[in-house]
Amino acid sequence: MIVKYYFPIALCLCILGAYGCRRNEAPPDLKLTHEVSPQPPRVGYVTVNLGLTDSSGNPISRAGLSLEGYMSHSGMPPVSGRVAEVRPGSYIGNMELSMAGDWVVIVHIHLPGQVSVDRQFEIKGVLPE
Amino acid sequence: MFQSNRNSSSFDLLRVPIVGALLTYRHARTLLQIPLFLIAIAMVLHGLFGPQLAPKNLATTYTWVHFRGALVFVLLLAGNFFCLACPFMLVRNLARKFFRPVRNWPRWLRNKWFSIALFVTMLFVYEWLDLWASPWWTAWLIVAYFGGALLIDAVFKHATFCKFVCPIGQFNFVASTASPLEVAVRDMEVCDHCTTKDCIRGVRDEVQPLVVIQRGCELALFQPRKVGNVDCTFCLDCVQACPHDNVGIISRVPAGELTTDPMRSGLGIFSRRPDLAALVIVFTFGALLNAFGMVSPVYALENWLAKLFGLNREFPILAFVFGLFLVLEPLLLIGVAAWLTKVWGGTGRSIVFVAVRYSYVLAPLGFGIWLAHYGFHFLTGLYTLIPVTQSALAESGWAILGQPRWGTPGLPPNVVQVIEFGFVFLGLLGSLLVSYSIAAAEKVDHPLRIFMVWAAVALIMTAGALWLMSQPMEMRAVSLGVG
Repeated sequence: MIVKYYFPIALCLCILGAYGCRRNEAPPDLKLTHEVSPQPPRVGYVTVNLGLTDSSGNPISRAGLSLEGYMSHSGMPPVSGRVAEVRPGSYIGNMELSMAGDWVVIVHIHLPGQVSVDRQFEIKGVLPE
Repeated sequence: MFQSNRNSSSFDLLRVPIVGALLTYRHARTLLQIPLFLIAIAMVLHGLFGPQLAPKNLATTYTWVHFRGALVFVLLLAGNFFCLACPFMLVRNLARKFFRPVRNWPRWLRNKWFSIALFVTMLFVYEWLDLWASPWWTAWLIVAYFGGALLIDAVFKHATFCKFVCPIGQFNFVASTASPLEVAVRDMEVCDHCTTKDCIRGVRDEVQPLVVIQRGCELALFQPRKVGNVDCTFCLDCVQACPHDNVGIISRVPAGELTTDPMRSGLGIFSRRPDLAALVIVFTFGALLNAFGMVSPVYALENWLAKLFGLNREFPILAFVFGLFLVLEPLLLIGVAAWLTKVWGGTGRSIVFVAVRYSYVLAPLGFGIWLAHYGFHFLTGLYTLIPVTQSALAESGWAILGQPRWGTPGLPPNVVQVIEFGFVFLGLLGSLLVSYSIAAAEKVDHPLRIFMVWAAVALIMTAGALWLMSQPMEMRAVSLGVG
């Protein structure tokens, strides 16, 4: 009886507890802007212009940025893209969108001497080729 | 006397060493339900509190990639084993320790109409709320299933939720008509001499006859008169209850149950069940509609409709599309086919009777299309099970499986597309064979003409499915006016 009914409940409580106890680190305060071209976006290569500033609006240089794109549906192949800094606080990246639809792009930001943070934005309504 | 249709050489899964012993173990169902229940809890928690990016969330990835795919493959290769391991029933059984239901499900609801409405609602909500892209909504959907099962079966006796409400169950019932295994009597002669009928009545305490020690079939399927898999949840209560060890999980010809029209325990006669026929129709045309929602032309159609009606809200446009594909299209196709069967095939039956009788022909094709669709997501996203699990554990502070590596998600889509087409053709073959069998058994002058009519319906639908599956995929929340 105990094994049959209360064991699952106890396990659920453990899972809930684990969620309550997970680590929660404060991310650095920064602002990321993005601009995707061409508009409207189509399947194939897109260019992503990124602007990275701190909370006071000062450009952040020499950050390591990379792009990771996901379809809105699970199980689809993710795409990745490299990013280069073109001037202080301005970065440019390319990625190849493999399918039409809505994409979510995660920008991995590594600031020298600080923890890495992720920011994300959507590219909605990518059209077929 | 009950008629025996079993061959003594039939394969019986319960006779297989280890597997048979496991399945006939008294607590086998609970043992199978517990892991699924725990996974469901993890999915709900991750869906509500985890990352809201669908590909990185357990709720969306497990539900829309792995669960659906595994479900159809198990139905194809074995039978309705998901219902056996259904986690919703674990909670319901627990609740029944505290609440003893006393009411019977209302007589006017003892059919499939209500569950068809829920099934259509489920398909509609999937498109409207973009469930595949929303961990939060997917989590609430799972909670709704648990809540629904709990509420319905806490109030109403027997397996009311499974038989008359659960949309997943109805899907499984129709799909399992094409399964190779069936819970069935081993030796009909044993049933001929059975006086207790425990498989339906259950086993009662000898001292206190009102106390049930082992349930009989809660879905009102009396084993000796049970035909096929419809309404069977593979719960194996009948296996446990039978004092003669005379119920097995036995091999049969897939879809063979659709070719005959006998009186079936708990169901009646298929040709007199328009609700069951409607379920098959919704199942089949819903398969096309659900696949249509994932390809580029659907957005062009919705935008065209939006401009035509001057609308900028998705709900009414989606409702129109559903009406078009789930009501108008079946009415036209099946209506014309039934009329041709009458006037060209020479049957003396009414058009409604013909439409009901021959709608079951579509079940294998419908299953083939669902298989193709869900199988595509399952096979192309198969490996995502690993990183999404790693990721969820790492977020919870238990990185016991290491850090996730989001690489190749599964098999290449171009390879899977060939398999997809294969499933559709397999379904078509099943539908052709069923329609031929039904037509050949008709006492009419032109059975071949009747076969040709229904074969044409199946071919038209197959052409539609193949066209859909060759379209570029496009998955997005609709934003009218774009594109």
